[in-house]
Amino acid sequence: ALEWNVSVWGKRRAFTEHIEKLAELVAQKTNGDFTMNVSYGGLSKNTDNLDGISIGAFEMAQFCAGYHPDKNRLITVLELPFLGVEDLKQEVAVSDAVYAHPAVADEMAQWNARLLMTSPMPQYNLVGTGEPRDTLDKMSGMRVRATGGLGEAFEKVGAVPTSVTSSEAYQAMESGVVDTVAFAQHAHLSFGTINEADWWTANLNPGTVNCPVVVNIDAYDALTDAQREALDSSVPEAIAFYLENYGKLLQKWDAVLAEKNVQKVEISEDELAKFRELAAAPISREWIDSMNAQGLPGQELYDLVETTLADAKAKGM
Amino acid sequence: MAGASAVLEDSSLLSRLDRALLPLERLMALISGLFVFSLMFLAAWSVGGRKFFGAPLMGYVDLIEMAMPFIAILGVSYVQREGGHIRMDILVGNLHGRLLWLFETISILLILLLMLALTWGAWDHFDRSFDCARPLCSRDSTIDISLPLWPAKLVVPVAFSVLCLRLLLQLVGYGRALVLGLDRPAAVPLNLSVEEQARAEAIHLEGHD
Amino acid sequence: MDPITIGLWVTGAMFVMVVIGMRVAFAAAMAGFVGLVWLRWNGFGYNPEQFWKALTISVKIAGQVPHSKVSSQSLSLIPTFILIGYLAYYANLTKALFEAAKRWFAWVPGGLAVSTVFATAGFAAVSGASVATAAVFARIAIPEMQAVGYNKKFAAGVVAAGGTLASLIPPSAILVIYAIIVEQDVGKLLLAGFIPGAFSAVIYASLIIGIAVIWKNVGPPVTGFTWRQRFAALPPALPIVAVVVIIIFFVYNPFGEAWGTPTEGGAVGAFIVFLMALYRGMRWAELKDALIETAKLTVMIFTIIWGVLIYVRFLGFADLPGAFADWITSLHMSPMLILVCILLAYAVLGMFMDAIGMLLLTLPVVYPAVMALNGGEGVSAAESTFGMSGTMCAIWFGILVVKMAEFCLITPPIGLNCFVVAGVRPDLSVQDVFKGVAPFFLADAVTIALLVAFPAIVLYLPSLA
Ligand code: NA
Ligand code: NA
Repeated sequence: ALEWNVSVWGKRRAFTEHIEKLAELVAQKTNGDFTMNVSYGGLSKNTDNLDGISIGAFEMAQFCAGYHPDKNRLITVLELPFLGVEDLKQEVAVSDAVYAHPAVADEMAQWNARLLMTSPMPQYNLVGTGEPRDTLDKMSGMRVRATGGLGEAFEKVGAVPTSVTSSEAYQAMESGVVDTVAFAQHAHLSFGTINEADWWTANLNPGTVNCPVVVNIDAYDALTDAQREALDSSVPEAIAFYLENYGKLLQKWDAVLAEKNVQKVEISEDELAKFRELAAAPISREWIDSMNAQGLPGQELYDLVETTLADAKAKGM
Repeated sequence: MAGASAVLEDSSLLSRLDRALLPLERLMALISGLFVFSLMFLAAWSVGGRKFFGAPLMGYVDLIEMAMPFIAILGVSYVQREGGHIRMDILVGNLHGRLLWLFETISILLILLLMLALTWGAWDHFDRSFDCARPLCSRDSTIDISLPLWPAKLVVPVAFSVLCLRLLLQLVGYGRALVLGLDRPAAVPLNLSVEEQARAEAIHLEGHD
Repeated sequence: MDPITIGLWVTGAMFVMVVIGMRVAFAAAMAGFVGLVWLRWNGFGYNPEQFWKALTISVKIAGQVPHSKVSSQSLSLIPTFILIGYLAYYANLTKALFEAAKRWFAWVPGGLAVSTVFATAGFAAVSGASVATAAVFARIAIPEMQAVGYNKKFAAGVVAAGGTLASLIPPSAILVIYAIIVEQDVGKLLLAGFIPGAFSAVIYASLIIGIAVIWKNVGPPVTGFTWRQRFAALPPALPIVAVVVIIIFFVYNPFGEAWGTPTEGGAVGAFIVFLMALYRGMRWAELKDALIETAKLTVMIFTIIWGVLIYVRFLGFADLPGAFADWITSLHMSPMLILVCILLAYAVLGMFMDAIGMLLLTLPVVYPAVMALNGGEGVSAAESTFGMSGTMCAIWFGILVVKMAEFCLITPPIGLNCFVVAGVRPDLSVQDVFKGVAPFFLADAVTIALLVAFPAIVLYLPSLA
């Protein structure tokens, strides 16, 4: 019998349910011959998960691209602002396309890592206190907790990205260190920022983070055919389970807003267009130039995201 | 508690090497202290900027995380030289002569083996984040303002290498005392009783008032 | 071999290394490293050809820990708190505090001793370390008490006991360490220390007054200060008040939004004391001394932290804490009795070990067990064993073990505070100080019993924030 150690962090939540499901399915399909021990923070610090895979400390891990852009330059394309992703299915589609690109696989292989699946996250909308920040003018000078490409986007419209860790986000908001916090819904719930909020932007959809699940290449290659088949065939099922589970959470979301008396703010199409113009194009341009300058296929990947997304939308996903 | 230094000096080569390494260790400890000092200004800047100028310090968390290894690890060898790392001395405090040097030699040998392994591991951790084919040699960066992490990671194997040198000197010092049956060997921290240690600490505070 | 068995052997070996006098930090790191190698080679079926691979992987896992674990924003509170203490010393805040306390409180029976307790409590608000507090006040307060006819053993006991207040009243390095190990909110823990710290001070003061009323010759009152003199003594002690207010308001502002994060609060507090020390004439030579002393204490603490965390990393792979928690919860004993047994075990261990080392070595295994006893990390107050949510239980247990650890600073045979007081006063032997401090065991026992019986004393403030 084979046991894999899997390194994730935090507590068990919607964001880790596909991994739990994968472990369950694999054990089932192999009759307990191949099991996974999912550890929440016991094996590594979250920002070191890719290092752990690289040295063979554990066989599977989850991490987010934005934690350490220099470790995983190419997949940060999925964290560029205003890509236009509307839902989790589209997020899965673009992630899968990017993960399948040879240059991306090659960059991950430098960490001895093989991309297995994504952990699709909804768009990082803002919660805030006081008067809703529903125009670009009102966002000027706003202290916002947003990292990576999102932070840059808010900076372009005059907001001030302020770094606090996700676990300190609630306190930062309560203490006025930040005015607003950008998170996915599950994080607004689990980090408590929704409890402090007066409003939530329903349609700002500025972008999200990308958090792949990877496996150690040597460990993957050492699997028997039956084990590998069990693992590979379980990925789509695990993702389907994740989407269904997250869907339930999103359904609950409106009820949570009503219960906490949080206003749902719709930003006008004009303002959104202005925001995209100021932030999306220049930041994408910078990203593409910087990748091309390092000899990486930046333009190609960016185009891949756009065409995949258009396809997905055309198919009514 | 740290602070009670009782390292004897004589004209032997070992003692001269001990004294040659000391200024480097002391400098590293001072740099660690200066980094603590800078934390204070960093916070004052961050809070002041936010409260009074509407301009918070970008990447405050990143800067602190970069500074911490300098603060926490750079002085590790200096503290070992002074015998300042905490230990339980209920047993060794009551030993004398060769038996004491035997225990000390075993301890230092184990620590040296451990630190050689950790220096290697810490170097590897640094090496994974360092690639000069890339901008700023960076293969790992901080979350908010994308600072290259390798300088903070490099501090660890550097400080650990100095500690390995120190441990080597102490191994020779204790080993020599064991073989020659010395009473008060040079270049190793001598075991102060808890009372002596407390008195030394009190005298240290006495100096300033 | 079963990973848990390996975990037990390695843990046993660690305690042997600690007992034979190996520095605690390295003993823990050694145990963790050897454990990692053993565990992995065990996984490879002890195949000699794969030993090298097991060794390399373990070296790399262990080698990550020092950088990875010290690079944390909340841990930056520890050096800041230590720096505050050293700067406060150069700013002459200790004398100012004792003078103010004397003019306000010395008129009661046992007045100078009561003043000493309140002055140490005040100094605790700028000092993160108990032993330093005891050393400083042994020099200022004992001679004054002796001059008006106090029993010198009793005077020494008051100082040794008063010094222990520094670790409950924030800033407190040990509370930060606890918060990091158990991954709880540092701000809430610091806040939780205030009332139990002040509560301990009040219990000490009541004990002193009681003793002074019964035995008239122990501590005569000192009278004759005018109101004018009383108010004149306040301004020099003001920076302490400023630091207390700043740290509280950065964590929890009763009147509105807090001012920032605890990390910022600690650093701004240090900045204020630094300005005060400059004003009092501190120059580069003294600053350099303060910085090197801060670095030494900081490095000493952090070396234990990363050393123990290498051991904890091994525990994560062996899952020993999970097994211990399962065992504790399966015992057929009342949970409260188990908790009391755990606290008593700390009292025994604390007789022989330093407080920080003791907490760091034991918490990785003991803390999950206590949480499991209460019903788990995420349990609600209604469903829990001790009638408090998981978060609140973590805070309550933290204050209890820190109070236990402080209690051990005044108990024989290795009561470090007593050694320090005796070290400062050559006319007092260690036995004298232990005799003088004995009544305070009673006070501490009462305090701990009350904190166990009435968790609200601990949890009131953190439940507001
Ligand atoms: Na304190
Ligand atoms: Na003791």
